[in-house]
Amino acid sequence: MTIMTELRHAWIITVKEFRQLSRNKALMVPLFLFPIIMIIFFGYGMGGTVKNAPILIVNDDTGIASNALIQEIGSYTASYNGNPMFKMTYTKDMAQAEAESKIDAGMYKAILLIPHDYSERLAQNENVTLTLLTDSSDTTTSGIIVGFMRQILSRAGPVGLEIPNIYGNLEYLDFLTPAVIALTIFMGSVATTGSAIAGEKEDGTIVRILMTPVSRTSVILGKTIYQLILQLVRAVILILAAYFLVGFHMNGSWLLVSLVLVIFTLGGVGMGIVMSTRVDDMESFFQLNLLLTLPSMFVTGVFFPLSSVPDWMRYIAYCLPLTYANDAMRTIMIKGQGIGAISTDLIILSLFALITFSAGVHLFRREA
Amino acid sequence: MIYLEPIIEVRDLTKVFHSRGRKITAVDDVSFDVLDGEIFGMIGPNGAGKSTTFSMLTTLVKPTSGSIKVAGFDVYKQDNKIRPIIGIVPQKLSLYPDLTARENLELMGKLYDVPKSIMEERIDYYLRLVGLESHADRFTGGFSGGMKQRLSVICAVLHDPPIIFWDEPSTGLDPQTRQSIWKLARKFNGEGKTLIFTTHYMEEADSLCDRIAVMNLGKLVALDTPEKLKEKSGSSNLEDMFIRLTGEEVRD
Repeated sequence: MTIMTELRHAWIITVKEFRQLSRNKALMVPLFLFPIIMIIFFGYGMGGTVKNAPILIVNDDTGIASNALIQEIGSYTASYNGNPMFKMTYTKDMAQAEAESKIDAGMYKAILLIPHDYSERLAQNENVTLTLLTDSSDTTTSGIIVGFMRQILSRAGPVGLEIPNIYGNLEYLDFLTPAVIALTIFMGSVATTGSAIAGEKEDGTIVRILMTPVSRTSVILGKTIYQLILQLVRAVILILAAYFLVGFHMNGSWLLVSLVLVIFTLGGVGMGIVMSTRVDDMESFFQLNLLLTLPSMFVTGVFFPLSSVPDWMRYIAYCLPLTYANDAMRTIMIKGQGIGAISTDLIILSLFALITFSAGVHLFRREA
Repeated sequence: MIYLEPIIEVRDLTKVFHSRGRKITAVDDVSFDVLDGEIFGMIGPNGAGKSTTFSMLTTLVKPTSGSIKVAGFDVYKQDNKIRPIIGIVPQKLSLYPDLTARENLELMGKLYDVPKSIMEERIDYYLRLVGLESHADRFTGGFSGGMKQRLSVICAVLHDPPIIFWDEPSTGLDPQTRQSIWKLARKFNGEGKTLIFTTHYMEEADSLCDRIAVMNLGKLVALDTPEKLKEKSGSSNLEDMFIRLTGEEVRD
């Protein structure tokens, strides 16, 4: 069979896949809307700037040092971009148990307890420990408050405070968006390829297609072309959504981003094919898919930096291709680096694509 | 009727499956010819090897040993020559539920490289022939079993194949649909096409087939015209003949 025939047959399959997609309205939501929702939710919800977070400062000390500290805290808060992050309330004579109950009740996000001997001990160069109670159910806010307090307390003395807005909305989104794109493309290509084939196995249509003069290579090629188009369109929609809805900033080359995504999609398609040959129906495919997606989602540093996870988790992450895609996407999109900086990632991702794709084609050919 | 040429030649065909360390001989040293222009039936209880033979004849599964020639082409080396000249109606009616009847037909037509104008003409003709013209633009997901069977049949003949393989054509169909399916089979045969059936129904084999191959436990146990088979076994109907040849116990 000539290459032209193969390509023509592949295109017939591609068109068929798109037609089926257009009929499947229920699939459109997770494919196109879900990643956007994820960006918005995580972007605003998790990494969002803290606004007017109520903090209570219980000052049992009457000395100079504690006054200075309180003033520092108060003055900085007011100067933040005209948009106060914290809303401070001051009081005294409150026991820790009572303070805890106020956090339980959701009245304050954090309560700083300044002991009565704070100034005295500081004056004598003794160690003094302040207690900071936080509402740890709200991880983002409490994290920001803890960071903020640490900064202030680490500079005992009248040093001008500077709080870098690394916790700000923009920064977290910049961190999040490239990886969410990689995650979306990976999950999408594996799941849609695999479940489509598993479904076609279930209803016998794939066998019917294989009975026709069309080669198996053409069938796989057709499905791959479909995936490449579909996943790149999804990536574009995501990037546009990130740009217009939450103000994402792109610092690098679109061409490199496309290159990474194309290679990664090929790997995902290969992975989907491999997984689909191991199951007989859609239901089992999705169970198998969970095994791959869940670790990929939470271990590979999509939502938090890989440097912050324990070693054993990092080793798992190094075995998952998404880790390298995340790194490549961030290096390009945030740091604006060129191909040199992502060469290791690209090599690993290409190997991943090569291995899964050859295995997928091989297993698919062997199947009846 | 006189048949001159064999169109399918099966020689010493064997298929062995390996499953969880077990060796299963699904088809065991089977040889037969299908003659050009006949309706050839394959009957046998479950597990007799009909479906495996069917899969090998239709190039879907490679034989372990032995040979199959379809219209002179070797199933091992020239399966790409065989596929365009055979039409297959699979047992599992394989239609895309989210495509309309016409789209399913067009997909098949394109995959068989039928030129567009001829394809459209044939699609209209066949849809009318099987009485599905008013359902042409409906999704096949909502079709009844009979409608799916009729649509599957015309999916298989759009490229005008000289040989049609038909796996259990009337399993689970109502008598009306079964009658219309038989009528279609005779019509195709009347146009000179060779038909190969597998079936459970003796009545179907009796009324349709020119010759019947009876399979049991992977072996070919009899091959003759329905009349001769009845005669030889001394039974008045094929069902008795079948039970006599293949035993009474129920197969899994």
